[in-house]
Amino acid sequence: MTTIPETRPAAQVAAPRPEYPAPKYRRILGADRSQLLFWATIIILALLVLAPVIPTLYQSVLDRPLYEEGGLFTTENFTRLFTEANFGSVALNTILFAVMTTVMTLLIAVPMAIVVIRTNIPGRKFFGAAMQWPFFISSLILGFGWITMYGPAGFASVEVRRILGFLPWDLYTLPGMALTEAVALAPIAYLFCANALRNSDASLEGAAQTVGAGPFRILWSVIIPMLRPPIVYSSVLVFSMSIETLSIPLLYGQPVDITVFATFLYKNGLQSVDPDYGILGAASVIILLVTVLLVAVQAKLLKDAKRFVSVRGKATRPRLLDLGWIKWLAVAFITIYVVIGALVPILGLVMRSFTKIFTPLQNPLLSLTLGNYQRIFEFPAYVGSIRNSLIVAAVGAVLVSVLAVVAVVVSKRSTFRYRKVIEYLALAPQAMPGLIIGIGLFWAFAFLPFNMGSLLQGTIWAIIIGFGLRALPSAFGSISPAVMQIGEELDNAARVNGADWLKMFLRILVKLLTPAFVAAMVLTFVVMMKEYSPAIFLGSADTAVIGTTMLELWVQGNTGSVAALATIQIIITAVFVGIAGLLMKGKKDA
Amino acid sequence: MPDVVVKNLRKDFGGNTVLHEVSFTIKDGEFFTLLGPSGCGKSTTLSCLAGLEQPTSGSIAVGNTVLVDDSSNKFVPPEERNLGMVFQSYALWPHMTLAENLAMPLNIRKVPKAEQKTLIHDALDKVGLVHLAHRYPHQLSGGQQQRVALARALVYSPKVLLLDEPLSNLDAKLREQARVWLKRLQSELGITTVYVTHDQEEALAMSDRIAVMSNGHMLQVAPPHEIYERPATAEVAAFIGRSNFIDGTVISARGGAATVRLDESGETINVAVSEQAATGDLVTVAFRPEKVFLTNRGAELPTDAIVLNADIMTTSYVGSRYEYDLKYGSKTLLVDSTAGGLTGGVQLVVPAEAVRLYPRANVVSKDVAELMAVTH
Repeated sequence: MTTIPETRPAAQVAAPRPEYPAPKYRRILGADRSQLLFWATIIILALLVLAPVIPTLYQSVLDRPLYEEGGLFTTENFTRLFTEANFGSVALNTILFAVMTTVMTLLIAVPMAIVVIRTNIPGRKFFGAAMQWPFFISSLILGFGWITMYGPAGFASVEVRRILGFLPWDLYTLPGMALTEAVALAPIAYLFCANALRNSDASLEGAAQTVGAGPFRILWSVIIPMLRPPIVYSSVLVFSMSIETLSIPLLYGQPVDITVFATFLYKNGLQSVDPDYGILGAASVIILLVTVLLVAVQAKLLKDAKRFVSVRGKATRPRLLDLGWIKWLAVAFITIYVVIGALVPILGLVMRSFTKIFTPLQNPLLSLTLGNYQRIFEFPAYVGSIRNSLIVAAVGAVLVSVLAVVAVVVSKRSTFRYRKVIEYLALAPQAMPGLIIGIGLFWAFAFLPFNMGSLLQGTIWAIIIGFGLRALPSAFGSISPAVMQIGEELDNAARVNGADWLKMFLRILVKLLTPAFVAAMVLTFVVMMKEYSPAIFLGSADTAVIGTTMLELWVQGNTGSVAALATIQIIITAVFVGIAGLLMKGKKDA
Repeated sequence: MPDVVVKNLRKDFGGNTVLHEVSFTIKDGEFFTLLGPSGCGKSTTLSCLAGLEQPTSGSIAVGNTVLVDDSSNKFVPPEERNLGMVFQSYALWPHMTLAENLAMPLNIRKVPKAEQKTLIHDALDKVGLVHLAHRYPHQLSGGQQQRVALARALVYSPKVLLLDEPLSNLDAKLREQARVWLKRLQSELGITTVYVTHDQEEALAMSDRIAVMSNGHMLQVAPPHEIYERPATAEVAAFIGRSNFIDGTVISARGGAATVRLDESGETINVAVSEQAATGDLVTVAFRPEKVFLTNRGAELPTDAIVLNADIMTTSYVGSRYEYDLKYGSKTLLVDSTAGGLTGGVQLVVPAEAVRLYPRANVVSKDVAELMAVTH
């Protein structure tokens, strides 16, 4: 029980009270220092986001490389793109690939979300956790793994061909590409559907049961209609991700000449001896238009979906449905996805890294070797790429998270007139494919006056900027809910007590946001560790990262060393996440 | 300590005006309460005083210091106003101990460490929490947190204390005790205090003056007694305490008195009026349930009393009294009485001084009106 204390006798208080006047904060040209921070934030973000975009737009309407003098404006690049460069069929391939990927992703993810979240199948916890695997493994590595196992000369393919006399599948086709991409993207769609199912009101199902509906009736009439918003949202998300993806189309499509948007840029920008910058710019602009449009649709859908969710009352624990014997079918289906889709290719890749030859025709255990690793550690360039990846991920994680925290707080907690613009700028890179960020920044550096770009071009800073830009939206997205959870009255209390906005931010919010900041750093580290596509244009021999080195070794046919590098990258990520998890847990207990 | 002078304060949000040209003056050392239902503009007014909101127009001054003035485009940010504020959620910084919470405003003001120690000790002592100085806010009960919030707002001797529904998160019993304690502390410190609440009892019990607000307007600014006994408008009468309202028409008026015919029954009554009333005016007659009494039909009555014939519908026993629901025409009237057991047709006696006459106003919400309408 709380008791109310006696107040002091009046005589003691009546003495004149000393004055502690409020602090005065200095202003520069009428703007206080918080305003300066707001402006600095928006300028830095605008520079970063516009740096790759403006030169790309400019290049697309210029008749020669933008750093050459005497350029004239022209629309010819766009005409040539569709006539000479055959961009029409590239666009068709891309759309086919994206549609197939989206459909297959949903076919995997939606049933899995329903079965894992809402039915009583055995191993629900394990399957739920297993869906987080893409956090550790990039789609580039998954592609290597799939080729190692299921490619034309893959381990499984050889075995199947030996038994059946023929191979019933061909990985190097559009459906093959789409299937692999779908396996990589399914966990994203799964996440959205699973969240919606967890948050949904269990009493709706209870109501259906009371009127006599069986488990299948409930599934069909109650649960599936409820999933419409997350399904629509995740299809748009998956669609736009498959439009911009490079890894799998590059690995599968190159040998058989299937070209999509990303591989078109790769080929025209990197592989041709004399790159046609006009065509490259025009293609980039068209791809950017498509991705910007898709991201705008996503944002709109997400807003609507949120409105949908907030209507629901408090969380209730849903009763799990019993599917009877069908649940074993469901378990088999999920097991096939996890084992065949992810586990076997990754294990195969790891096996490959420890063997000379990896084929069922010869017991792999007989050709065990550390040679693949040896080769990597013998060449300074390969070791350098591991070091570069670590530096980029570590430095980038800190810089990006700092920028993200400031951007989130300014956009959500200040009275800055352009705070909404800050949010849009921070989320804008979502719509920018990695390759276009690479090309755009490359041009931006070339375009800078007084040769300032050469200070960055080809350095590790260029890579950090490119990868950081790609990672910024996810860092922003991970910090933003943490800021929203902190009551605004805490800010107001600090302001009334005499702290200006900046002091409030430094003394109150920074401390309260530390856990979210650390989590964002871990996330950003992992994202930047897996990233490689901007480095294809931005990197030099000295600044290769693990991803670009793997591609290089792959082209050389050095698959053993590719497997070894992939294994190293997976281990680095896993160890880092493990240590970070332990540290954060320890902090919480203290 | 200085007066707080607010002139023509106006706040627009988007196209909505939430504060319409509000003006008032708070005297030195006064306990001034902004009272009204949620959305009436009381919290916006407080935020404007604190500097957390920038008013669209108007001016605010504390003593000789102008905090806001739209004519000279002046706006002093909250951190430079030197006001103390207690928030509804207390807003104690969770990562700091109580002592650190109190030290923050002193650190910002560059108060020497030794002096800080005394000030923090004194402030915590005032609220009886010195022994918990090194605890964290989450280790405290709600009542204790509320007192820490008060100590933090007082530790730097601000010019004015702003309180935003500080007691609303306490449970009912504690709230009543805290009310008395807070009032005593305030009058001992003599600090000018602006208090925001939607709880009329709280407002009546604690304030020197109350400003009743509704839809961004200030309906009446007066001491508690006057607010309750002589509500300036029908809305105030409806919001503060309980009131019965009967619509009527003035059929004759002379000097300080008017004769009103009641719409429900056609009965006429004589009412004293303070303002001008003219024949034909549509009016609402108001009286409080506890100011009237019931007698059996045909009983002796004081000569100047107003008598209405009504029927008792329901009786509720609420402990300290009986509450009767009376059917009067199609209206339900509420009457308090210490006598139980009355039934059937009764005379409702309203002493002349208990009646207030207002211009016709619709003060009863539609939901309540539907529920109250006698349909049988």
